[in-house]
Amino acid sequence: MILTMAWRNIWRNRTRSIVIMLSVAIGMLAGTVVLALYKGMMQGRVRTVIDTETAHLQLHHPAFSKDYHPSFVLPETDRFLSTLPGIIHVSHRSIVQGMLVTPTGSAGVEIYGIIPEQENPVSALDRKITAGKSFSSGNSHEIIVGKKLAGKMKLKTGSKLVLTFTDSSNYLVSAAFRVCGLYQSANAPRDELMVYTPKAVLNELLLTGNSCHETAILLQHDERLDSVQTALKKAFPSLLVENWKEITPETELMVKTVDEYSYIIMAIILFALAFGVLNTMLMSVLERTREIGMMMALGTSGTRIFLLILAETLILTIAGTPAGLAAAYFITGYFGKYGLDLSGMGEDMMASFGYSTMIYPSFPGEKLSGIVIMIAATAVLSALLPALKALRMQPVDSLRR
Amino acid sequence: MKRTVIDTHNISKVYNPETIPVYAVNDVHLHLTEGEFTALVGPSGSGKTTLLNMIGGLDRPDTGRILINGVDITRLSKGELIDFRLHNIGFVFQSFNLIPVLTARENAEFILLLQGIRKKEREERIKQLFREIGLEEKMNERPARLSGGQQQRVAVARALASKPDFILADEPTANLDSVSASHLLDLMATLNREEKMTFLFSTHDQRVIERARRVITLVDGRIVSDTDAVPTDEVHQVI
Repeated sequence: MILTMAWRNIWRNRTRSIVIMLSVAIGMLAGTVVLALYKGMMQGRVRTVIDTETAHLQLHHPAFSKDYHPSFVLPETDRFLSTLPGIIHVSHRSIVQGMLVTPTGSAGVEIYGIIPEQENPVSALDRKITAGKSFSSGNSHEIIVGKKLAGKMKLKTGSKLVLTFTDSSNYLVSAAFRVCGLYQSANAPRDELMVYTPKAVLNELLLTGNSCHETAILLQHDERLDSVQTALKKAFPSLLVENWKEITPETELMVKTVDEYSYIIMAIILFALAFGVLNTMLMSVLERTREIGMMMALGTSGTRIFLLILAETLILTIAGTPAGLAAAYFITGYFGKYGLDLSGMGEDMMASFGYSTMIYPSFPGEKLSGIVIMIAATAVLSALLPALKALRMQPVDSLRR
Repeated sequence: MKRTVIDTHNISKVYNPETIPVYAVNDVHLHLTEGEFTALVGPSGSGKTTLLNMIGGLDRPDTGRILINGVDITRLSKGELIDFRLHNIGFVFQSFNLIPVLTARENAEFILLLQGIRKKEREERIKQLFREIGLEEKMNERPARLSGGQQQRVAVARALASKPDFILADEPTANLDSVSASHLLDLMATLNREEKMTFLFSTHDQRVIERARRVITLVDGRIVSDTDAVPTDEVHQVI
């Protein structure tokens, strides 16, 4: 009977109830779309990190990460990697930190010696080239520079520059290179730092033979990450085997932080909605002062009065939720398929944080239970004040009204 | 010997005790036994409703004791009083006070649900009650679709549903036309006569006073007369 009464009480003031239900629906829609956008951004960022920056796993000499000395090269790993299931692409890279010098200035850079046939499938470097082209041969003194760095150093394709660095024997080496291409990724800070030369050329200057400093491994499925990492650690116990989360802890931290932010945003939306629900319920209770007093006079306990008001608040709050979630599901589904172009918000600004301007929102299905719990908590909180107001009523005073 | 249902001892209710004290009820002794059909009369402000509220456990006296079936209700907590009212006292209010979102049947059934009565027993009791008040065909109507008289009869059914020891009715005919008032009085008199239901009602209505078998007159919170048979003209003078 409590539920029946609650349901019918809701419809005593139809317009008021519909308005508050619509508010809840719109609030849920807005909150869920924001969560979907965040989720899409994070998924996009993680994909960018894996597919174009770090790959799934990387092998290093344990001492290499500390001072980037070119003498810390990796042993031969290809034979084992070719037998390990789940690996689809491997890129061996030589790396050294150095100075890029042009007639107009100089800049600190990380020089990557790469084999384009290996590198392109792992980091999609060929797709990032916006001007010029890749190396003409594996032995040419050519260099691919980030567009942002090129702008800063006034470089264009065909420009000459000098790279200075220390070789594996601690001798200072300088070599001239000609810019063959400019690239642009979704991560502007990396574009300003990383330059690419043919691996054979760099190794010759570093005196490191055919070896490398980094092996980047791309897997067929993200789910294989843990098993492949475990197998690699077992096979190469003297090497540092790191996954993308360990290589870029800031990405993992950002995903977690944004996940928490999304709950905070939802909480703020629900907090605002709670005031609307509370106001409606308070009006409803005050309008029914006499009726509630009469119910208490007849012998209705405080618990039942509280349950009645709680049930009304829950119905009022939860009724709008499915509509809001359904609308959010379809809207995020559409933009999840066709993408949401945020380039109008500032491509450079997005790139400076490592984000693409094309977002593919993803409906936060895994958060539904959390959202429903938060809504129920909102309803309970919104019911407290009206319920307390009702419970404080004295039947004798209420009946006089 | 008849069982005592209501027994009040020196009850008083005073408003503004620290400034200008106004005695709504002043040192009232009242004794009602089962099966009585008693009218509480008096001019406006004489304390009728306050006295009824205190007897019904809706308000507390400042001094004195109220015994209902031997239980001192002035010593009960708020929660105990709610439970006591549910099982012992039936109320009929001047303005009907039915729950508007429930049908006539559900209004009466509401009390039985609060008492935890099983569905089958509830249905039988409700059928019997609506047969007694003559509103079987209106059982499933909401109060808004019933006339004032019909609503008050439903209120009587609701008061009777819990099988209380007595029914307190505060000006039950005040909002009714003469025909409806007459029907309601017939109903209450029949219940009193046939089911030995005790009624205590406050009223201004001469028709009610004429049907009462005991009339208690209150003036300024004090009982000024308590008679079994009151000539109509005397009551007129007091009111």
